[in-house]
Amino acid sequence: MYGVYESFFEEEFSSTFDAMADVLDRAVKALIQHDCVPADRESCARLCMEEALANAVEHGNRADPARKVRVQLAAEGETCRIRVYDEGNGFRPEKVKDPEPEQLGGRGICLIRHYMEDVEYLADEHCLQMTLPCTPVGS
Amino acid sequence: MSETKEPLLDFETTGRVTVATIRTSSVLSASNVADFGAQVLDYVGRHAGLALIINFEHVDYLSSAVLTELLRINKKINEVKGRLHLCAVSKTIREIFTITNLDRVFVLHEDGKDAGVRRMERSLDVAASEAAWVEPKST
Repeated sequence: MYGVYESFFEEEFSSTFDAMADVLDRAVKALIQHDCVPADRESCARLCMEEALANAVEHGNRADPARKVRVQLAAEGETCRIRVYDEGNGFRPEKVKDPEPEQLGGRGICLIRHYMEDVEYLADEHCLQMTLPCTPVGS
Repeated sequence: MSETKEPLLDFETTGRVTVATIRTSSVLSASNVADFGAQVLDYVGRHAGLALIINFEHVDYLSSAVLTELLRINKKINEVKGRLHLCAVSKTIREIFTITNLDRVFVLHEDGKDAGVRRMERSLDVAASEAAWVEPKST
């Protein structure tokens, strides 16, 4: 059975890191305002979103400013869902191995997998979807 | 349009050890991280045998892009037969190194730059002693 996620934030931006930084700040604020992220998990949520957005900019859209990345935040009960859409061909996060120690790249997905409850690429939607449990304020 | 690069780190040499203090967390944003790496690599390239500590006292957050630059710096330092430690590394940031298995690659310290300098001096002394044993003079 699937719950009904209600979207509370959605923005699209050109594939540049400057544009990404602005949207990331607003998205993190939105997560906090909607009580999706307790204080001790804010930096983890920011990190995972930054990794996903950076991958979309750099790998999905090849850093082409003409291509767009879209981020959508939604909540259902005590779960928050983060979706990052790009115009690339997609990938399978479960196939990305944790990098060898001296390997230069490939750590973004490793970090996302560690901090997020669930990570999957939805091929039909062209988006990476991550979920994290929310903790209501005061609990 | 001219582009002047602001220094993103302050380099200070005390005895045999150089401390590079990252000025603010924003130095390590996605837009700046490549410049951060370039500035450190440039410094390392001009100082063979450098004993360098990168000081994270103003850093409370970093992404995998920073890890990539640190790996580049580490590789370059090894090529010029130098040493690299990271100091004032918070628990949150240490966790990121651990998740990505980079706590096996980098020397990480939680304490600040003064203690970091002392530790580096000690490691240089130990290395010098070991070198004296390995290469006895033959007559």
